[in-house]
Amino acid sequence: MINRRVEKGVARGREFEIEVDGEKLRAHEGETIAAVMLAAGRRTFRQTGLRQQARGYYCGIGLCHECMMVVNGVPNTRTCQTLATPGCRVETQEGPGKLEVAF
Amino acid sequence: MKEAELLVIGAGPGGLAAAVEAARAGAKVTLLDENPQPGGQIYRQLPAGFRLTDPKALGRDFPRGQKLLAEFAQVRERVEYLDEALIWGVFQDSEVAFQRGQNSHSLRYRKLIVSVGAYERPVPFPGWTLPGVLTAGGAQRLVKIQRVLPGEKILLAGTGPLLLALANQIVDAGGQVAAIVEAGRIENWWRLARGAWGQWPLVADAWHYYRGIRQARIPLLRGHIITAARGDGQVAEAVVAEADRQWRPRPGTARIFRVDTVCLGYGFVPSVELTRLAQCDHRYDPQRGGWIPVRNEAMETSVPGVYAAGDCTGVAGSLVAVEEGRIAGIGAAQSLGYLSAAEAHPRLEACRRRRAGLLRLRQVLDEISMPRPGLYELAQDDTIVCRCEEITLGEIKKALREGPTDMNEIKRMTRMGMGACQGRMCAAALQEIMAREKGVPPAELGFLNPRPPVKPVPLPVLAGHQALE
Repeated sequence: MINRRVEKGVARGREFEIEVDGEKLRAHEGETIAAVMLAAGRRTFRQTGLRQQARGYYCGIGLCHECMMVVNGVPNTRTCQTLATPGCRVETQEGPGKLEVAF
Repeated sequence: MKEAELLVIGAGPGGLAAAVEAARAGAKVTLLDENPQPGGQIYRQLPAGFRLTDPKALGRDFPRGQKLLAEFAQVRERVEYLDEALIWGVFQDSEVAFQRGQNSHSLRYRKLIVSVGAYERPVPFPGWTLPGVLTAGGAQRLVKIQRVLPGEKILLAGTGPLLLALANQIVDAGGQVAAIVEAGRIENWWRLARGAWGQWPLVADAWHYYRGIRQARIPLLRGHIITAARGDGQVAEAVVAEADRQWRPRPGTARIFRVDTVCLGYGFVPSVELTRLAQCDHRYDPQRGGWIPVRNEAMETSVPGVYAAGDCTGVAGSLVAVEEGRIAGIGAAQSLGYLSAAEAHPRLEACRRRRAGLLRLRQVLDEISMPRPGLYELAQDDTIVCRCEEITLGEIKKALREGPTDMNEIKRMTRMGMGACQGRMCAAALQEIMAREKGVPPAELGFLNPRPPVKPVPLPVLAGHQALE
C-alpha cells in the first residue's frame, strides 16, 4: 500500500477511514480528500465528459476544478478544498456529474 | 443593507497587513476570506488536527508569516473577520456578494481593499492535462501544509525562485527530485547582484536554496524547457530540450526523464476578476503577469475608494504584498478620518522605501522569468488549451479563421473560459496564442469579461441570497 505521507515536522491528528470508489483509505483529521487520495497514490479524480480523459489534482488552490469528485452524493466537489471526514464516501466523477435530488 | 466602513477582501499577506494597519488606526474593518484560517496561500497554516513538531519543516516563509499573523492577532478582536467566505461578485453601488456555508449574502462598503493574490500561469503543452502534472504552488501546498508528497520521482519545470524553494521542500520531506528545468537564463550577473544588494533576507533564502539542491545533487538545467509529458492515464515520462533565448526548443536536444510527477511553475497571473467587476481600469503588463489594475502611489485604483494591494495588482511576492497592504490600509484609514496626514506620512514613507527596494530585485528576476514567445508555441493542434470545456489549439485556430477580433468573441464561438474555472486556467494562454495567430499585440484583444458568479456557487445557495442587515 502506497503511503506518501511525510512524517517529519508534524504530528497528525486522529486517524480514520474514508471510502473512495469502494476502497477504504486511511485519512487523518485536517487532511483534504485530495491529500488522502494522493497519499495513497490515487491520481485520477475525474473523467472528462467530452473526451473521457483522466484528470487529477492540478492547481491545489480551488480554482481549476480538475479535482472535482462526487462526495457523499454531491458532484462537483473540489476535493483540494474539502476536508476528509470519518466514513465519507467519495467517487470518481464522470463528466459533469449527476445530482440526485429527492422531491 | 449593512455597510462596512472598510471592507478588505483576502486574508493573505496584503489583506492582513491592510487590516492590521487600518484597525490599529481605529477604522472599523470587515475582512472576508475564502480559507478557514488567515494567511492566504504563502502564509497558510497547518490544518486543525495537525501539530507542528519542527517549524523548519514549513520552510523559510513560515516565520515571516507568523510575525504578520501575530500582528493580526493583536487587532483580531476589533476586526469583523468572516472566514470561508467565497466572494462571487462585486456590483453597482459598492455591493459585494459572497457565499458562506449554504448561504449567500451581500454587504456594501465605504472603502474597499482588494488583495486576492494570483494563481499559477497556465501553459498548455502536450500532456499537461495528465494526472501527475500539477502546479508548483499546488505541490508546495501539498508538501508544506498537508505533508504529502505528490509522487515518487518528481521533475520541476518552469522558471523562477519558486522552483528552487519547492525542490528544497520536497527533498527535505524525503522526496526525490529528478531535475529542475529552468527556462530562463541569467544573462547579466552584475545586474542581478545590483538588484539583490541590500535585500539580505532574500539573498539568504537564495543561498540556502542553491546549497540545498547542490547537496541533494539535483541537476539544475538552465535554459531548458519541458516540451511534453507522456504516459497512459498518468505521467510516466517528461521530454526536456535545450531552449534558445526565445524559449524555443533546439532541435536534436530532447532528452527523456522517467518521472511520475511534473510540477510546473511559470510564474503567476494576477486575480483581477474583482477589480474588473468594480470597474477599475486595467492595463496589460506582461512582465507583471498580464492584466493589472492601474493604481496611484496610495494603491488606490481608478475608482475612488477602491484600493488594490499585492499580487492581484502585478505579481511581486509576499513581502511586497505586505508593504502594499500597509500602504493601502493606512491610506484608507486616513481617508476615513482616522489618521491625519502628519500621522500617516512617516509610516507610509517607511513602507514605500521597503517596497521600492524589493521591487528593484523583482524587476531583475522578472526580466529573467518573463514568458518568451516560444512558451506558447509548445502546444500542438491536439493539445487541450481550455481544460474545462476540452478545447484544443486546433479548434481555436479554426475559430480564429472566422475572424474574431477580441477575447470575448472567441469565448462565445468556442466556449473557451465558460467552464468551472471561468478562464483562469486558459485566458492568459489564449491571449498570447490569439495575439500570435492574428499578429497583433495581446492588449488589443481585450480580456475575458468576468461574470458573476466568478466562482461556481450552487443554485439553491444563490436562490436564497439575502443582503446582510
